[in-house]
Amino acid sequence: MGVSKKISLTVFGLIMAAGALMWLIQLWRGLILTDMNNAYSWGLYVSALAFFVGNAAGGLVLSSMIYLFGVTALKPFARIGALCAFANVAAAMLIVLPDLGRPFRVLNLLLHPQIMSPLVWDVIVLNLYAGLSLIYLYLLMLPDLAARTGILKKITLPVKDPAGFSDTWARRLAPFSLVAAVGIHVVTAWIFATQGARGWWHTAVMAPDFVAAALASGTAVVMLVAVLCYGTADKFQSAFRIMAIFIATAFFIHIFLMYNDFVIHAWYGTDHARETLAITLQEYGLAHAFEVLAPLAGVVLLLNARVRKTMSGIMAGCLLIIAGIFIHRILLMPAAFNQMPLTLAPLGSQHTLWSVPIASGRYAPPAETFVSHHSYFPTLVEILIFAGVLSFVCALILVAVHQLPVVKEG
Amino acid sequence: MRRGMVIDLEKCIGCRSCAVACKQHNAQPAGSWWNRVVTPGSDRHLTASTPENLYFLPIHCQHCNNAPCVKVCPVGATYQTDDGTVLIDFERCIGCRYCMAACPYGVRQFNWESSKDGMQRYEYQNNYTYGYPDPFRLDGRLVYSPVRIKGVVEKCHFCAHYQAQGLDPACVRACPGKARHVGDLDDPDSRVSQMIRQMNGFTLLPEKGTRPNVYYLPPKRKEV
Ligand code: SF4
Ligand code: SF4
Ligand code: SF4
Repeated sequence: MGVSKKISLTVFGLIMAAGALMWLIQLWRGLILTDMNNAYSWGLYVSALAFFVGNAAGGLVLSSMIYLFGVTALKPFARIGALCAFANVAAAMLIVLPDLGRPFRVLNLLLHPQIMSPLVWDVIVLNLYAGLSLIYLYLLMLPDLAARTGILKKITLPVKDPAGFSDTWARRLAPFSLVAAVGIHVVTAWIFATQGARGWWHTAVMAPDFVAAALASGTAVVMLVAVLCYGTADKFQSAFRIMAIFIATAFFIHIFLMYNDFVIHAWYGTDHARETLAITLQEYGLAHAFEVLAPLAGVVLLLNARVRKTMSGIMAGCLLIIAGIFIHRILLMPAAFNQMPLTLAPLGSQHTLWSVPIASGRYAPPAETFVSHHSYFPTLVEILIFAGVLSFVCALILVAVHQLPVVKEG
Repeated sequence: MRRGMVIDLEKCIGCRSCAVACKQHNAQPAGSWWNRVVTPGSDRHLTASTPENLYFLPIHCQHCNNAPCVKVCPVGATYQTDDGTVLIDFERCIGCRYCMAACPYGVRQFNWESSKDGMQRYEYQNNYTYGYPDPFRLDGRLVYSPVRIKGVVEKCHFCAHYQAQGLDPACVRACPGKARHVGDLDDPDSRVSQMIRQMNGFTLLPEKGTRPNVYYLPPKRKEV
């Protein structure tokens, strides 16, 4: 392992340790250490769940493209894809734990699962997806495992023709992984989209939009790791081109679905829709500009063949896309929670709508007891826990690339 | 039997006794309010938003028939009893707060910290205690406890502990305006059913399809 890798690993390790420490403190004191309150009850952690689930898309979609549609140019990146899928879906499950008030009761999900709850569906599909991406990774590495020593050799399946076996099974599993890859986004989107109380979420466009945004950011994640592992040699250029086109298409579909929804709601102009749109486009106008313009810049970069020949160009393009989609996930919350579902027209008052405030549940002398608006900003505890999980993704990928036959030499 | 409540807005004087009684009887942690009384249209309680327009609206769990909070709860901690009351099992809840996102009425309260820490933060005097002193289990499930642990969600439980003793909920007994009534909504001859029929009972947010078991009677005239 080179010096730069060692330094990165140390940094990731330190951030993970800081995140773990923060979680311990949060376990001890409670979620009072976050900036959430009774009226604004989900924040960075749940946004991060959506973000990581999205990032997990790329991997298995790429693999299934190779084996279902014969896009062989992507084949060198198939293992990286499966690895990224696993790392991100693991992170998605991990970031839910600090969001739970009583994380040690998480076993109740197994003991008393309620089949009507979209959260239960999500736990099921995320676990399936994690398992599937691990199996995929193993299958794809199989031809090279036998040559290794120690534990890797021991877990090698004794088949006559490992390469052929790997290929056959990867092809057989491809349809399932495509369904699973789409499934985790649809079900994660349903957690939100089923909620009639929250106008911002309650739209049929959420699930398809979730898939589109995920395919953009998920593929960008794989592309980023691929360029870091393989560089920009000529033989990979066709793969990068395909990925860039794929990301661009997914991103433009995402933009189309999002604005299509905005236009329809803005045109009819119910008070609820006007309020949620005002929160997103005015109060969070800068963030909204970023969620659109940053990935747009990233897509423009990646679509340029000259840029794709440079390491820094590809990295910048992918990071812009990932960052933009991250802000998109952050913006899931403000318009959902700052528009009070219980908004009514007071009897006898014409043309007024009034939001019924909610007891914040947290005491601060200058603050109001009952609130109907909260400018949420994550606390240091929330940010460090999120950063810890993000570092976990990076460290896991780094270690796996180093220890496992993920990157083919030569 | 479908247990329901009728709140007569004509009779409500906005005194907030119900909110206070609810908080005290149910040992609600500092900062938590299962029951709140608002003055619609006005930023200040008891202040007319426009001249000749003053009425009060007490709001707590509406004990919805089609309760989104019950449907989202991944572990069945929030559940509905046979009489339609929506309860929370304090020992089952994992604190995911999905139910808080799902409830359209903003009545669910989370224990962001332990009630002991909360009392200190609010500078309650040492050893001050309040609330019904015994835990209450319904069919073995802990639906009320005087001491709260951090990390679980709570809300109005229709005073299940008092119902077991044949008593009305604390808010009903405390209401000096006699604005609150409980009874069987399935029985067309019950007092509550008759009131709803005869006095144009309505529910909050009917467009959300939650079908609450809490009804309101419109005020005939608004106090000035
Ligand atoms: S008012 Fe809210 S908490 Fe009560 S039953 Fe309805 S959805 Fe659930
Ligand atoms: S916070 Fe508790 S009661 Fe609410 S949905 Fe989660 S487990 Fe159920
Ligand atoms: S106690 Fe009765 S009169 Fe007073 S606010 Fe509550 S419902 Fe109204």
